[in-house]
Amino acid sequence: MNHWTPELLSPAGSLEKLKIAVLYGANAVYLGGQKFGLRQASDNFTLEELVEGVAFAHDRGAKVYVVINSFLHDKDLEELPEFLKFLEALMVDALIVSDLGVIATIKNHCDLVIHLSTQASCLNIEAAMLWKSMGVQRIVLGREVTIAEAGKIKKASGLEIEMFVHGSMCMSYSGNCVISNYTQGRDSNRGGCAHSCRFEYSIDFKNTEKESLKSYFMSSKDLEGIRLLPEFIDAGIDSLKVEGRNKSHHYAGTISKVYSDALNFYKSHGHFLSSDMLMWEDELRKISHRDYTTGSLVEYADENSIYNQREHDDNEYTIAGIVLESRKNQYLLVDVKSAFLLNDNLEIMPFNGKISTLSLKFLKTISGIDIIKSKPGSVVKIPYAEGVERFNLIRKCIKNDVAGFV
Amino acid sequence: MKLIIYIETTKEFDLFLNEFDNQFECEVVLGCIELSRYTKTSFEDLLILINIANKKKIPVVLDWDILNLESRFKKSIAVLEKIPLHDFKAIRLQDPGAIEYIKRTYPWLKVQLILENGNHNLVGLKSWRNYLGEQCDKLILSNELSKDHLRQYASSLDVPIEIQVLGRILLFYTPRLLLSPLDKKNSEAAFLEAYGSSEESPHNGFPLIENQHGTFMFNVKDLYLLDHLNELSEANITNVRLDLRFDSLFENHVKDLIRFFKKDISEKELKIKNDHIRPMIKGFYNVNKTDILFTKLKNKRIQRNDEYYLGEVVDVERNNQIALLVKRDGEIKENIKKLKLVTPEGKIKEIELKWIRNSQHEEVNSFTKNEIILIPFFRGVTVKTQVYLSSTT
Repeated sequence: MNHWTPELLSPAGSLEKLKIAVLYGANAVYLGGQKFGLRQASDNFTLEELVEGVAFAHDRGAKVYVVINSFLHDKDLEELPEFLKFLEALMVDALIVSDLGVIATIKNHCDLVIHLSTQASCLNIEAAMLWKSMGVQRIVLGREVTIAEAGKIKKASGLEIEMFVHGSMCMSYSGNCVISNYTQGRDSNRGGCAHSCRFEYSIDFKNTEKESLKSYFMSSKDLEGIRLLPEFIDAGIDSLKVEGRNKSHHYAGTISKVYSDALNFYKSHGHFLSSDMLMWEDELRKISHRDYTTGSLVEYADENSIYNQREHDDNEYTIAGIVLESRKNQYLLVDVKSAFLLNDNLEIMPFNGKISTLSLKFLKTISGIDIIKSKPGSVVKIPYAEGVERFNLIRKCIKNDVAGFV
Repeated sequence: MKLIIYIETTKEFDLFLNEFDNQFECEVVLGCIELSRYTKTSFEDLLILINIANKKKIPVVLDWDILNLESRFKKSIAVLEKIPLHDFKAIRLQDPGAIEYIKRTYPWLKVQLILENGNHNLVGLKSWRNYLGEQCDKLILSNELSKDHLRQYASSLDVPIEIQVLGRILLFYTPRLLLSPLDKKNSEAAFLEAYGSSEESPHNGFPLIENQHGTFMFNVKDLYLLDHLNELSEANITNVRLDLRFDSLFENHVKDLIRFFKKDISEKELKIKNDHIRPMIKGFYNVNKTDILFTKLKNKRIQRNDEYYLGEVVDVERNNQIALLVKRDGEIKENIKKLKLVTPEGKIKEIELKWIRNSQHEEVNSFTKNEIILIPFFRGVTVKTQVYLSSTT
C-alpha cells in the first residue's frame, strides 16, 4: 500500500548540491539565482546552471523552487521581470517570496506559483488568509509555529503548508532581525546576515549587583524533526523543508537520504516503527550540526532550545570526495573534498540502500601514479566498487583520521 | 508636523498635559501588556488612560504591534474585545493576521500599518495601502529607509507617512525567553532588563528586554533625527514619532520636546542629545549602503557565464596534464583545438591543444557531458579555472 507522505524539500546551494540532493531522494529543491535571495555567500546559480539544474531535477521527477525572498528595493524590482520571464520559460515549479512588492510584480509579469517565505513570519490563520487573498498558494510557516498549529492553519486556510523539519534556526522571528545592518553594515534581510546571534555576550542585568554573565544566549540549537514525522503526516503538512543552502555536499546528501529513506519507509508501511530509526538519527549526527532540538514543533521553544556554546566543528565524519566517474571493473574517479589516506576507512553512501565501508587497495593520481594520501582539489582513482555511481558521496571518519596521525 | 508619542502611565499623561495645547498636532499611542511589545501598562491602566484622553480630547491610537502565534492570537482578540475601540482614532498593526482580522471584523476602524520590517519598495507599499483601502490611516515606515526614499514614497502615496525620529532602534525580536534562564532568581519577573556586550563585536551595551512576548534587543545607539524635521516636512513626511519609553526619557525630556514641537525652543536648546546615556545616531537617514558588500562575497570569475562554456578544471598535475569536468557534449573537428581559460584570479589564457584524452589516457575525438577529460598542462592554470571553447573553434 502506498501511504501519503509530505514532499521532502532540500536545499541546493549549488548545481552540484542540487544533483546530490535529488539523487539522494529529495522530492523538491530550493535554490537561488545570483540576485534576489538571502544567501549571498552561497554559490547560487547562474542562468546557465539554472537551466541545467531545472532540467536535471525535472528529468528525475523533482520540483524546483526559486527563492526571491530578499526584501527587495525599488531598483531590484525593475530588474525582476526579466528574471521572472526566464524562470517561467524554464518552467520552475514555484517562487519563494517574502515581500508584497515582489508578489505584485510576479502577478503582473508571469503566472508562476507563489510560495510565501518564512521571512514573512506567517504565524496564524488570519495571516494565512491575508496571504491567500494576495495570491499565495503555499506558506512556509515561521519556525515558531507548532505542528498542531500548522495543521489548524492548513485546515482553515486551505493553503499548502510547508514547515522546516531540519537545520539551523534564526533565534529571531525571521525578517525581524537587523543586527547585521546596524553593527556590520550588511543587510541581513538581503543576504548579508553576519550571524551576530552566534556570538558570546556578557550580560549585565539592570538594577543588580551581580557580576556579568557570559553566554551564547541568542544562539539556537539546530532543528531535528525526524522523530516527529508521524505528527507532520497526521497534520497534513504538505512539504518538509530542510535548511542549509550554505552547507556542505555531505549535508545535502545525508539529509536528503535520511529523510527520504524514512518517508519511503512510511510510504510502504504506514508507520515509522523501524529498527532503522536509530540509524537514521545516528546518520543525522554525522553531519555538521549544533546540538539538536525539536524547537517549537511540539511546544514553544524553551531554554533547552538555546545552544549556549561557541560554534565548533567536532564532527565525527567529513566528506572525503564525490564520485565523478565509474569505470566498470577498473576504477572510480573521485573529486577529493578533504584529504584521505590509502588505509583510511572510508564509507560510500549509495543513493538507495545501506551505507557500506570502502577499503582501498590502491590510491592513484588521475595519471595512474600510486600515492598514499590524496589532496583536496584533486581527482584520484580508487578501486571500482559495484553499484557505486556518479555523485555518490564518499565520507571518512575523522576520529580514525586523527588516530592515524598520532 | 504631527507628533506621535507613547504614553504609558497617568503620571506621564500629566506631564504631557502640562505642556499640551492646541498649537500643535499630536497623536498619543496607548497600549497594554497583552497587545504591545514592551509597554508595562496593564489593561486596567489602559482604560484609565483612555478616559483621560477622552476628557482632554486628545486623539489616541491603540497599539497592537506584537506578532501573534495562533494560540496567542485568540488571547489577543479576547483582550481586544474588552477595549472600547470606538474611543480610538485608529489601531497600529504589524502582524498580517491582525491586519486581516481588523479589516474583516472592524471595517470602520482605521488602521495604521507598521511596515518597519522590510517593505523597502514602492510597489509593496502601494499594495499594502490598496489592500486596506479607505481603512488605511497611514503607513509607518522603516528607519532603514534613507531620506531620498522617504521623499519619493511620500510623494507617491496618498496616505500620510510616519517615521520614528527619536528613541531606541529595535534590532531583534524573538518569542523565546532568553534572559530568564540566565537569572534564575528573577526568572518569574514579568519584565527583565539587561545589557549585552560581545568581544566579537566592537559595539557594547545592547539594551535587552524580556517580557511575556519574548526577548527584544536594541541598538547600542539611539535614533535622533530631530534636527531634520524641516527637511522631513518639506518631503511631506507629516508624522514623526518619539519613543520615550526607556531610560527615563519621558520623565526627563517630554517637557522640552513638546516646547520644541510648539516652536517655543529650538532644536539646539534640547538637552536630550547631550544628557542621554547612550550615543545618538541618524541611522540610515542620510544613506543606506548595507548591500554594497554583497558583490565582494563571491568570486564571479569562477562562475560560468556564456554559451561557449566547456567545463571546470578539477585537477592539475604539474608539467603533465590538466583534468576537466566537461559540461557539454563535444566533438573535436580539427587537429588544433582552441580554448579560453579563466583562472580564479582572473587571468585569461588562450591555449591550443594537441590532444584530448579520457581518464583512461586514450586519445579521444569526442566527449560527453559530465565526463572527465585530460588536456596538456599549461602554466598558471589551477583548480576551479573555468574553461571556454574559443569562439573560433
